[in-house]
Amino acid sequence: MHEDAPVLNAKLRDRVGSRYAKRIRETGGLPAVVYGHKEDPQPVTLEAREALRFISRGEKVFSMELDGKKQFVLLKDLGYDYLGTNIIHADFARVDLNERVDTRAHLKFVGEAKGLKKAGAVLMHPVNELQLNCLVTNLPDQIEVDVSGMDVGDVIHAGEIELPVKTMKLLTDPDTVVVQIIMKAEEPESTGEAASVDGSAEPEVLTAKKEASGDDEKKKD
Amino acid sequence: MPPYKIPKRVKHRKEFRRVRDRKATKGNYVAFGDYGLQALDGCWLKSNCIEAGRIACQHYLKREGKLFIRVFPDKPVSKKPLETRMGKGKADVDYWAARVRPGTVLFELAGVSETRAREAFFRVAMKMPVRCRMIGRRVEA
Repeated sequence: MHEDAPVLNAKLRDRVGSRYAKRIRETGGLPAVVYGHKEDPQPVTLEAREALRFISRGEKVFSMELDGKKQFVLLKDLGYDYLGTNIIHADFARVDLNERVDTRAHLKFVGEAKGLKKAGAVLMHPVNELQLNCLVTNLPDQIEVDVSGMDVGDVIHAGEIELPVKTMKLLTDPDTVVVQIIMKAEEPESTGEAASVDGSAEPEVLTAKKEASGDDEKKKD
Repeated sequence: MPPYKIPKRVKHRKEFRRVRDRKATKGNYVAFGDYGLQALDGCWLKSNCIEAGRIACQHYLKREGKLFIRVFPDKPVSKKPLETRMGKGKADVDYWAARVRPGTVLFELAGVSETRAREAFFRVAMKMPVRCRMIGRRVEA
C-alpha cells in the first residue's frame, strides 16, 4: 500500500518561531515538524500546494524526502488559523511500516435510512471518527457505516461497526453511540439551564447574601 | 415581550467590559452538527439576536434538521439612562449578551443538506449584527 505513498519534499528549517513561519507561508511553504522514534524533532518546510493537495485528499502516510533520506511519516495533527480556513502547520510522526499506531478514522454514513422519511426524524452522529490501533499499512481512509436499515429510535454503537481488517483494534469505547435516528421534540420556549424571562426577571446572585452579611459587620463596628 | 434567555444564577450582578477584540481560540470550529455559522467580527451578541436567529432558522426549516446554538448570553451589560449625569456608580443591567470573537461559531445544523443549511444560515445571518459565513467540518489529521 505504502510503496505508492505520496512523496513530500521537505527542507530542514534552520530558524524557528512564528516570525519565520509566517515568512515561509508567504513564500508558498508550509511549516511542519517531524518527531518520534526517540530522535530529535526536526522542523521542516514543505511545499504548501503539494502538501495540502494530499492532505485534503485524506492521505495519512507519506514518504518524506529530507536531506536525501527517505522516511515514512504519519500525519498526526494539523494547525488551523483562527477562522479555520487555512492549514498553517502540520505535525508528522516517524513510523515504521511494520509498527502498530494509534490513529483516527473518519466515518462515512452510506445508504438512505428508512426512518428519515418520517417528518421530524433526524440522523444524529455525535461521533465522526473512531480511534483505532492498527498496522501502518492497514490505515483506512474512512470506515463506511451502513445506515439504510435504520428506523426511528435505532442506535449503532462503536462496537457494532465492522472494521475493514480483523487485526484492527477499536480504542473508542464500544458503547459509544455513533449514529442514531431520533424524533425531534417540539422545542419548548424555555429549555436548558436558562431561565425564561419577560424582561423584569433577574438571575439569582450567589454573592448577594455575603454582601448583606458584610454590611452587618460594618454596622457592628 | 418574547422570552429571551438569561442565566439562572450568576456570581455577580454586574461585570467589567473586558477585552473584546481578540480572535477566537475556542468554539471556532463545527463540533456538533454538519454545518456552522461563523462570526467574522467580534461583538456582544444580544440575547434577542440569538432568539431572532433561532426563530429565523426553525421557521425556514420547519421540523427538518437539528439546530445547535453555540453561544449563550451570560454577560450582563449595563447602561445609564438618558439625560443622566455621569458618576453615581455603575448603572443597572440593560441587556444580556454573549461574547463573540472573530471566528466564533454561533449556530450549527445537523441532518440537513448543504443547500438547505445555506438557505437557513442566510436567513440567520440577516439577524446577526456581525458579518457571518457558513462553514463545514474541518479536515482532521
